[in-house]
Amino acid sequence: MQRFILRRLLQSLVVLVVLALVVFALARVTGNPADLLLPEDATRDDREHLLKALGLDRPLHEQLGRFLKGAVTGDLGTSIRYRKPAVEVFFERLPNTLTLVPIALFGAVLVAIPLGLLAAVYRGTWIDRISGGIAVLGIATPSFWLGIVLIYIFSIQLGWLPSARMGGPAHYILPTITLSAFLVAGMMRLVRSSVLEVLDSEFVKLARIKGLSQTVVIWKHCLRNALIPVVTLFGVFFALLVTGAIVTETVFAWPGVGRLTYEAVIFRDYPLLQAVILMKAIIVLGVNLCVDILYAYLDPRVRYA
Amino acid sequence: MRSRVWIAPMIGFIFALALVGGIAARAAAQDKDTLVIALDTLGAMVMDPIADTRAPHAHYHAPLWDSLVGFDFDKGGIGPGVAERWDRAPDGKSWTFYIRKGLKFHNGDPLTAHDVKFSLERTMSPESIASGAAALRRAIASIEVMDDHTVRVYTKGIIPHFAASLSRAVFMEGTVMPKKYIEAVGAKGFREKPIGSGPWKFVRLVPGDRIEFEAAGGTHWRGTPQFKKLHLLLVPEQSTRIAMVRTGEAGIASIGPEAIKEAQAGGMKVVSVPGTMQAVFQFWGTYRPEVKGTPLADVRVREALSLAVDRQQIIDHVMAKQARWPLPFTTYRYSIDLDLPRWEAWSKKALRYDPARAKQLLAEAGHPNGFKMVFWNTALPGTPFMVQIGEALAGFWEKIGVKVEMKTVEWGVFDPMSRGEQKGLVGTASMYRTAGRPEPSPRYQTTLTSTGVQHLLGEPKECPALCQEMDKVYESAVSENNDAKRAQAMNKMTELGVNSWMVIPVIEGMGYWAVNPKRVGQFKPIPGRHEFGDVTERMPRPEQKPWN
Repeated sequence: MQRFILRRLLQSLVVLVVLALVVFALARVTGNPADLLLPEDATRDDREHLLKALGLDRPLHEQLGRFLKGAVTGDLGTSIRYRKPAVEVFFERLPNTLTLVPIALFGAVLVAIPLGLLAAVYRGTWIDRISGGIAVLGIATPSFWLGIVLIYIFSIQLGWLPSARMGGPAHYILPTITLSAFLVAGMMRLVRSSVLEVLDSEFVKLARIKGLSQTVVIWKHCLRNALIPVVTLFGVFFALLVTGAIVTETVFAWPGVGRLTYEAVIFRDYPLLQAVILMKAIIVLGVNLCVDILYAYLDPRVRYA
Repeated sequence: MRSRVWIAPMIGFIFALALVGGIAARAAAQDKDTLVIALDTLGAMVMDPIADTRAPHAHYHAPLWDSLVGFDFDKGGIGPGVAERWDRAPDGKSWTFYIRKGLKFHNGDPLTAHDVKFSLERTMSPESIASGAAALRRAIASIEVMDDHTVRVYTKGIIPHFAASLSRAVFMEGTVMPKKYIEAVGAKGFREKPIGSGPWKFVRLVPGDRIEFEAAGGTHWRGTPQFKKLHLLLVPEQSTRIAMVRTGEAGIASIGPEAIKEAQAGGMKVVSVPGTMQAVFQFWGTYRPEVKGTPLADVRVREALSLAVDRQQIIDHVMAKQARWPLPFTTYRYSIDLDLPRWEAWSKKALRYDPARAKQLLAEAGHPNGFKMVFWNTALPGTPFMVQIGEALAGFWEKIGVKVEMKTVEWGVFDPMSRGEQKGLVGTASMYRTAGRPEPSPRYQTTLTSTGVQHLLGEPKECPALCQEMDKVYESAVSENNDAKRAQAMNKMTELGVNSWMVIPVIEGMGYWAVNPKRVGQFKPIPGRHEFGDVTERMPRPEQKPWN
C-alpha cells in the first residue's frame, strides 16, 4: 500500500512540473501585462519602467528559473495586478469557492439521486422521459444563461432572492442551483444506469423472492449498491466544481477562485495565473489521490495493477 | 407514491430558503443610509495611489484621497483642488501651489505642503507604477516647501500644462498622501489601513468583492456626503449589475450603451457623462516605403473612408443616441488652448456623411472600384462597444466599394502589435480610442509625433515632411510659455492632424450609468470623467432631489 501511495505521489509531482512549464509558456503567448496596465498614451519610457518594476525586462529563461526556484519553496511570485503574493491572493479567494461547492454538490445529489432512481424504477414511463429531458436540459443549458434567467425570475420579478454577491444563506441559492445544474444531469444518468444494472442482479431477485417489499428492495438493497460509482465520482465532481465555477462566479459576482482565474487570464497576470492553475492542479491531484487510495483500499487488485 | 415522498420535502426546503432569501433581499434593499455602486471593474483593488495604473482606481481612490489640482465640476477639465490656486513663474520653469488651510487627514493630522512634496516624490519613486509616474520623473527637477501652505515645484524646462497633469481630470499623480502616517506605518501598513483627506473614510476591502467607506464626518470642500456609507461592489457581469439596480440592491451601476434601453425600460434613470472618450479609426505605418503606392498611403483615400461613415447612424443606433458628434482627434468641448468654435465648425463639415464625394475621391485616387483593406477591430478596456462601432464602419466602407478584411482581436493581443516594429499593423487600419482629457498634446505625442509609441506619421529614422512639421509644432506647443503663442501652436498642431486624415474620430463617447431613482437622487456627473469617485460626495438622497 505504501509503495502504491509513493508511486502515485511521484506521478503527481511529474504532472505538476510539466503543468508548471506549460502554464509558464502559454501564459506568455498572448500578450504582456504591461500593455494592459498602461494607459493608451503611455510612452516607451513608461513601458520600460513598468516592465523593469515588474521584473519582466529579464530574459525568459531567467524568469523561468526564478519561477521554478520560487515554486520549490512555495513562492509562486507576486501578483502583477494585486501587488501581493500570488498564493496569498489565491487563498483569500479559495474559501469563497469552497463554501459554494459543497452546497452545490449537496444540491445536485438531492435532485439527481431521486430523479435517477425514479427514472430507473419507472423505466420507459413518462417519469423516465421527463427525467431524461431534465438531463438533456441540464447539459445543454449554458450556466451563463441559466444564471441570468434565474436572476430575472427570482430577483427581479418575484423579489424573493438577492441577485448576486456573497452574503447570508439566501445569497447561496441561485449560484448553487446554477452551479449544480450541469452536475445533476450527469449524476442522474449515472444513478439511473447503476440502478438499472443492480435491479437486474441476482441479489435483488433473491430479495424479491424472499418477499421483501418493493420499498425495502429499492432503498435498502438497490440504491445502496447503485450509489457506489456515484460516490467514487464524487472526487471528480468536486474538482470539476472548484475548477469550473468561472461562469457562475462571474454572473453572480462571487469572489471565488473561478473568477480569479478569469481575471488572471484577462490581465495577463502571469504569476497569479501560474499560481491559480498550479494550486487548482494540486487540489485536483490531491482529490484524485485520495480516491485512488480509497479504491486501492477497497479493491486490492488496484494496488497490483 | 415514492415520488411524493421525495418531492414534498424538497418543495418545503426550497420555499424555506426562498423565505429566508426574501427577507434578506428586502432587508438589504431597505438600507437607505448606504450608497451602493456596482462596477464592472475595481482595477487592482490596491489601496495605494502608487500601486495601480489605470483609470478604474479613480472609482475607489478618489473617495478617500484628494488631489492637488481638482476639477471644474460644471465644464469638466481642471479646477481648484487641495491647492486652491497656483502660479506659473514668469520663466515658466517653476510652479507655486497654495494649499487650502484647515485640511486634515482622517487621523486628525493636518494636510500641509510637506505632504504634497512627499506625495509627489513617492509617486516618482522607483517602486511606483502609477500611470504617469514616468512623466512626472521627466518633468520635475525638484520640490521645495516654502511654508506649511505653499509648495514650489521646479520643472525640467517649460511645461505649460504641468498643473493639469496633477488633476484627476488628467492623471492620478496629484493624489495627496499622509507623510507622517506612511512614515510611521510603512507602505504595507498604509495599504492595509489607508487614510486620506477625502470626504470618505476607508472601512474595509474584501478582495474581489467590494470596498467599503463611511462618511468622514464634518463638511468637506469637495462636498459633504449625504449617505452614511459608500459601498463599491465589483460585479463583472452587466446583466447582474442592472438586476441589482432594479431590485435596489445597488443604487447605481456602470453600463454600456447597448444596455441603455433595457435600463430605461426597467424604470431606471440613465446618466450619461459627456466627453469621456473618442472612438477613432487610424492608419498604421503608411509612411513606410513598403506601403507607398498602396491605397491607404493616399490622403484622398483616407478622407474618403471618413466621408463614407454616417456618424449620426452610429450615434443613434450603436450608441442609443447617447453619444456626441466628435471634434477633431482628442479634442473635447472642455479642451484648453484650442479655438473650439473653429473646430466645432470644422467637424460639422469635414466629418459629414457624403458617400458620393467619398466615391469621387476614391476615383481620383485611382480606385474607382474600391480596394481591399485589412481592418483590425478591437476594444480597449472599459469600452467594449468599440467593436460594434468597428463593425458599423466596415459596413459603411463596403457601401463605397471597399472590401474590408476585418480581424477582430482582443485588446491584450492587439496592443503589443502596436508597439515596436508594428509588423502586423503596417499598411492596415484599426479601431482605437482616446480618453477624455482637457489637454490634447500628450495624445498627439503618442500618436502623431515621430518619437511617440504609435508614430503614425513617421519615426525618427524615417520622418517625411509632414512628420517633421508635426514634431516641430508639437515641441513649440508643449514648451511655449506665452499663452497666445501656445494656443496658436496647438491650433496648428490640430490643423496638421486633421489634414493628414491619419487618425479620424467617429463619435465622442460617454460614460453610462443606470440609477435607481428610489435609492439615489438626481446628480450631475463631471464632464469627461467616467468614474464617479469624485461625484459620490455630491450625490443626494432621493428625497433631497427627486428625479424629473
